[in-house]
Amino acid sequence: MLLWENMKLALTAIRVNKMRSFLTMLGMIIGISSVIAIVSIGDTMRSMFAKEYEEIGLNRVKCYVMKFDGYYYYSENFTADQFNEIASVFSDEIEYISANEGGTITGINGRKNYEIVSTGVRGGYEKVQKVNIIAGRMINNKDYEGKKNNIVLEEATAIELFGTADVVGKTMKVKYTKGGSGTFVDDFNIVGVYRNSQSVLMKLLGGTDNTRGLAYVPESIVFDINVNGVWMIDMFVSEDAPPTFQTQFTNYIARMTNAKPEDVRYSSAKEAMGEMDSILGTLSIAVGAIAAISLVVGGIGIMNIMLVSVTERTREIGIRKALGARTGDVLTQFLIESAVISLVGGIIGASLGAGVVIIGGIALGVEVVVKPSVMLMAFAFSALVGIFFGLYPARKAAKSDPITALRYE
Amino acid sequence: MNEIIKIEELEKVYDTGAIQVHALKKINLSIEQGEYVAIMGQSGSGKSTLMNILGCLDRPTGGHYYLDGIDVGKLSENKLSAVRNKKIGFVFQSFHLIPRTSAMKNVELPMIYGKIANRKRHQRAKELLCKVGLEKRLNHLPQELSGGQRQRVAIARALANDPPIILADEPTGNLDTASSVEIMELFTELNKEGVTVIVVTHEDDIAEFTNRVIRFRDGQIMSDVRKENP
Repeated sequence: MLLWENMKLALTAIRVNKMRSFLTMLGMIIGISSVIAIVSIGDTMRSMFAKEYEEIGLNRVKCYVMKFDGYYYYSENFTADQFNEIASVFSDEIEYISANEGGTITGINGRKNYEIVSTGVRGGYEKVQKVNIIAGRMINNKDYEGKKNNIVLEEATAIELFGTADVVGKTMKVKYTKGGSGTFVDDFNIVGVYRNSQSVLMKLLGGTDNTRGLAYVPESIVFDINVNGVWMIDMFVSEDAPPTFQTQFTNYIARMTNAKPEDVRYSSAKEAMGEMDSILGTLSIAVGAIAAISLVVGGIGIMNIMLVSVTERTREIGIRKALGARTGDVLTQFLIESAVISLVGGIIGASLGAGVVIIGGIALGVEVVVKPSVMLMAFAFSALVGIFFGLYPARKAAKSDPITALRYE
Repeated sequence: MNEIIKIEELEKVYDTGAIQVHALKKINLSIEQGEYVAIMGQSGSGKSTLMNILGCLDRPTGGHYYLDGIDVGKLSENKLSAVRNKKIGFVFQSFHLIPRTSAMKNVELPMIYGKIANRKRHQRAKELLCKVGLEKRLNHLPQELSGGQRQRVAIARALANDPPIILADEPTGNLDTASSVEIMELFTELNKEGVTVIVVTHEDDIAEFTNRVIRFRDGQIMSDVRKENP
């Protein structure tokens, strides 16, 4: 009952001194809003990275061998046969494997030519990795097995070369270097066009929407282009693969290439995401903690005003004591007052911080993450700040002697 | 009759370091339930010190003060608060209402500290304000009231927990003559209802209203005169 009465008293005191209360709260408002904004931005980044990795495929693994001969690091190449061997040995554990990197080729249509980075794929690539085919089809196993000169262009590339994206069924010339043994020109059939939609994160990180020049060709052709093989294994590991898969695979690759197991670099998207997530988490905690220093400043502001308030209201305290208020009653009254000032500041600040983040999110087209738990913690913390910094003024009020307090002018 | 206040060899010494000031020098006094007393004296006579001790705002340095049979000198700080809350109603010279707080809320305050339930509190505050003739000023703030009206609110507040004693410290000191008379008539009325009223004053006109006049000088009682036929 007394608690409720004290709450009402505190709210009245805040209402009566609007300007002063607002200025006192300002410290808390700024502190809490910046903490909320920073933590929310951090959480948003984490969720964006998580989405990014999900798009890449969390079970995607890139593996290569890096040897050291005492002077230089050099990578070991894999041939088409080795790829097939790996695919058959680990057929249960690997959903999809390809010699991703195909090298640069030049697409030619009449007088126009355009540099293209080719990516070698086998059939089923679109099942493990989202490819937004807007016309025609993706490279399939027939293309791969038959080593057919089929190509899937990116929309912008098609427009660049043909002036239109409606190019399925057309033929284009492709010029490529065959393992250092001269330049060849071949006819390629365009079987599909895909659209490369860039993620919001990539846009934010400064990438442009225009990533022309990526094309898919059958992996078998890649080995024609790179007769010495390719250095990177790009694969998608099955969800059902045993936990020991990484070790088994690494050891197998080491034996295959006469390398030491530690020379085999195995990097999974899941691991990379975990690292990124923990880095971002630590970062947002660290920056949040720095912002939290401003809460201390806000708290000191509250203490300052509460001391003024206690002095101003010395007589009121005397009256209350004469009327039967106990030390504890006066203490509670002033503690609640400072807690309420701080809490109201915290609520305004949290709303402000969240609001800024949400509006920013709308402006940038980003789906923001504002956790209710973080908001609640901010509220609780701001009340705590109020209580902590209100303690000294409240004790001063509670301990004052009623006679002197009553005489105070 | 029932002794509501009994003071034995009461002393109050202010130790200011170099010199000791004897504000009260071994006073003996007894006030019975239902008396109407004026305490008079010039400033420095010790009457305010006595008032503070009677009101349990201050403790004696020697002797005993029995309030309703309890030796209050031995009570803890919180017990003293409770005694002030239940047994004594204060009326001050400068009213001492809580600023920016309505008349109702001011009257309710002692009941809040007395842990009286909400509804009962409102009811009682309204009754008391009606009793002192402020039924039309229930929600006015102190600064919207005249001096006389403020003092009435203060009296209503003093009566909130139905205390046996009312201690009024120069209650008419800040009022004009007409208001002073009204306030003193209110005290007389309350006294007739059985409340012990103790008024500290230096005005003879005010003391006229009471039935017993105690005069102080230099920390001692000079005279203690009861009216023959109150």
